[in-house]
Amino acid sequence: MIGPSGKNYAICLLPHLAVSDNHTPHAPQPSQSRDPNRLLSSLAQRGPALDLSTLDLCFLAALYLRAERAALTSFSEEQLADVFEQVEGVLPAGAEPRAANKRRATPAIRRLREQRMIARVDGAGIVRAGEYALTRLANGIIEFFLEDDTLTRESLTVLTRSLLLGLGEILAAANAAVCEEDWRMGVIGPLRITMGDLANGIERRQCGFDLQQEEFQREIAALLHADWFGAVARCQELLESTSTTLSELNQILLRDTHQLQSLLQDVQERAVASGIAEAEAAARAVVDQVDRIAAWGAARQRAWSEYYQYVHRYLRDVVRLDPARTLTHRLREHLAGKAGRAYALSITSAAPIRLLREVEVPPGEKPPVRRPRKQREQALADAPPENAQSKLEARVRGALAGGAGALGAVTETVIAEVPEEERFVTTGRVAHAVARLGNPHAAAEREWVAMRDGLMIEEWTMRATQAQTGQEEKETP
Amino acid sequence: MSSPLDNGSNARFSRLEDVILDETYPEVDLALRRGRHIDRDDIAWYAFLVDAADHLEPLYRRFGCELIHRTDGYFYLLPTSDALGRRHLSSSEMLVGQTLTLLYLEPSTVEQGGTVTREQVLGHLAGVLGADSLMRAMSPKRRRYDERVAQEAVRNKVAESLRRLATLGFVEIDQDERVRLRPSLMRFAEPVRGTKAPEAALARLVAEGEFVLAEEDAEEGEPEDAQAADAVGVGPDEATDDETPEEAS
Repeated sequence: MIGPSGKNYAICLLPHLAVSDNHTPHAPQPSQSRDPNRLLSSLAQRGPALDLSTLDLCFLAALYLRAERAALTSFSEEQLADVFEQVEGVLPAGAEPRAANKRRATPAIRRLREQRMIARVDGAGIVRAGEYALTRLANGIIEFFLEDDTLTRESLTVLTRSLLLGLGEILAAANAAVCEEDWRMGVIGPLRITMGDLANGIERRQCGFDLQQEEFQREIAALLHADWFGAVARCQELLESTSTTLSELNQILLRDTHQLQSLLQDVQERAVASGIAEAEAAARAVVDQVDRIAAWGAARQRAWSEYYQYVHRYLRDVVRLDPARTLTHRLREHLAGKAGRAYALSITSAAPIRLLREVEVPPGEKPPVRRPRKQREQALADAPPENAQSKLEARVRGALAGGAGALGAVTETVIAEVPEEERFVTTGRVAHAVARLGNPHAAAEREWVAMRDGLMIEEWTMRATQAQTGQEEKETP
Repeated sequence: MSSPLDNGSNARFSRLEDVILDETYPEVDLALRRGRHIDRDDIAWYAFLVDAADHLEPLYRRFGCELIHRTDGYFYLLPTSDALGRRHLSSSEMLVGQTLTLLYLEPSTVEQGGTVTREQVLGHLAGVLGADSLMRAMSPKRRRYDERVAQEAVRNKVAESLRRLATLGFVEIDQDERVRLRPSLMRFAEPVRGTKAPEAALARLVAEGEFVLAEEDAEEGEPEDAQAADAVGVGPDEATDDETPEEAS
C-alpha cells in the first residue's frame, strides 16, 4: 500500500491479529484464561505469521471498498480476479515487483486464504465455484490503513455516554437479578461484549490519536524545513489545535471515567454480595480498561505539554530571532573551519573544598583485628667458612702423626668418621693427601687391601721422614 | 552584561541573608561555581535565581564573577578574575558543543522534541567537518594513525565531551542515552550571532572574558584526557597535546 508519504507499507508480523479463537480477543475474560504466559505460549505453538506485500494490501483494500460501496457480503471467484486485475493496473510500476507480468489472481488469493485474510463462505466444496469474504483480521488491517479512526471530542463523548447508559442498565439488571441466568443475560454478557467493545473503541481511537500526534510532529518539522520563518503561524496553529483537542479529551475522560468507575464499583459490589464470581471478574476487567483509558489522557497531556513548550520556545528563540537562518549558516561555516578564528568558552571551575585531617579511630570503636605480619626473609647470621679439604688434610696429618705406616691404615682412620655415602670420594682424597703430606712408597706390584663397605685400595707404605729418621738415630745408642 | 530579571525579584527575598538562608542556595551556588548553566528546565533552581539575582549579582562580583542571565533563558557565572578558578573548554568540547548547537537550530530536531542520539551528533559532526578532518581535529598532534583506532578515539572523545557538557548543563543525557539539547547551547553561537561581523563580535566577547582565542591556551593540558587516550592505546603525551583547557586557579 502506498502511504501518504509515498512509502510502501508491508506487514510482516502481526501475531495478535492472527489469533482466531471463538471469543473476541479484546473482550474481558476470566483471569484464568487471560494468563499472559499461557496465551503467549499457546500463540507461539500455533506459529502465526503474516507476510503481506503492498499488492496484497491493495487487493484487500480494493475488496473492502467494493464490498462497502456495492453492499456485498461475499465475492465470487470471477469478482476476486476482476478486482485483482484492476489493482494490478492501478499499482505504479516499481511499487510491486511483477514476476515478468505472470502474476495472476490465483496465487494471491491462495496466499491470502492461507493467512486467513479471505475465507470461503459458501461451503459448496467442489460442486461449484466458491464465494469468498474478507475476514475480521483483513477488515481490521484495512480499516487501520483506510479509516481515520482517531479520538475526537465528539467520538469520545458519544462513546463514554454509551458506556454510562449501558452501565446504568447493567446496574439495574444486577439489582433485579434473582437467578444465575439473569446475571448471565443482564450483566456478564453485556459487560463482556457491549462494554468491552465500547471501551475497546475508545482505546483504538486513542491509538489513532497517538499516530495523529506523531504525524503533527513530523508536519511541524517539515513545515519549518520547507518555509522556515513563514511556517511559524501554521506551526502554532497545529500546536494550538492539538493542545485544545487533548485538553478537551482529558476533561471528558476525567469527568466520565469517574462516573464509569462509580457505576462499575456498584456492579462489582452487587456481584460480590450475590456470590457471582464471573460477574465480578467481568466488572473488574472493564474497570481495568477504564483505568487505562483515564491514564492515557493524563500521560498524553503531560507529554504533549513538554513538546508544546519546547516548540513554542524554539519558534520564539530560534525561528523568530533568526528569520533568514543566518545563524545556522554562520555557525556551520565556522565549525567547518571556513570562517573566523577558533575560540573556546570560559567557565568557572571552582575546585572542590578539601579538608585535611588526621585519620583517627572513632572513640568507642575497636581497631579491626589484623594478623601480625610474618617475616618472610630470615635474617642472615655470620658463619665461619667451611673448608672440607683442610679438615681432611688435618685428619690425614693426624693419622700419619699417630703412626699409621701405610695408606690403608690412614684411610681406615679417616673414613671411619665420614658418612657412608661420602666414603668412596673421601678414599680418593685421602690418597691424594697422603701423597702430598706423607712420603709413600709405591712398589711396582702393589698389594690390594680391603677397606670398609667393600672398598679396596692399593697399599702404599710410608717411608720414614727425615725428622723421624733423625729421632730414631738419637734414640739408638 | 544584560540581566533581564523579573520586576518581582525582591518579592521573595528582601535581603541577601534571606537568599543565603534559602535551602536551594547551597546547591545552586555550588553548581554555578562548577560552571553549571541553569535554565528553565531546572525549574526550582531557575525560579530561585530569578528571584535572588538582584542580591546574588553583587555577591558574586566580590568573588570576581558575573552572574549572567541570558534572554534565551539561562543563568551562568562568568569568571572575570581568577579568584574562583576558571577553565576553558577543550577543542573537542567546543567542536561537540557547536555541533549540538547546530542540531538545536535544526528543524528536524523539533520532531524529536529537542532530543538527539549520539549517532546523530557524530553523523552531524562528520557531515560538517568531514570524517578525515574530524579525526585530525580530535587528534591534531598525531602524525600517523590507524583509521579504526582513530575512529574509536573520536567516538570516545565525543562521548567524553558529551558527558562533560552534560555536567555543565548544556545538555542532559537521559536513561535511553538520548541527548536533550538545552537553551544554554546558544552560548556556543554567541560570536556568530547578531548583525555585527563575527570577528568584531568575537573580539568583544574575548574582551568581556566570555571566550578565549584557541591559540592563547594551546599549551595547556588536560589530565583527564590521558585516561581516555589510554583506553584506545594512545600515549598520554600524544593525547593531551590537542586539549586546551585551563586550570587557572
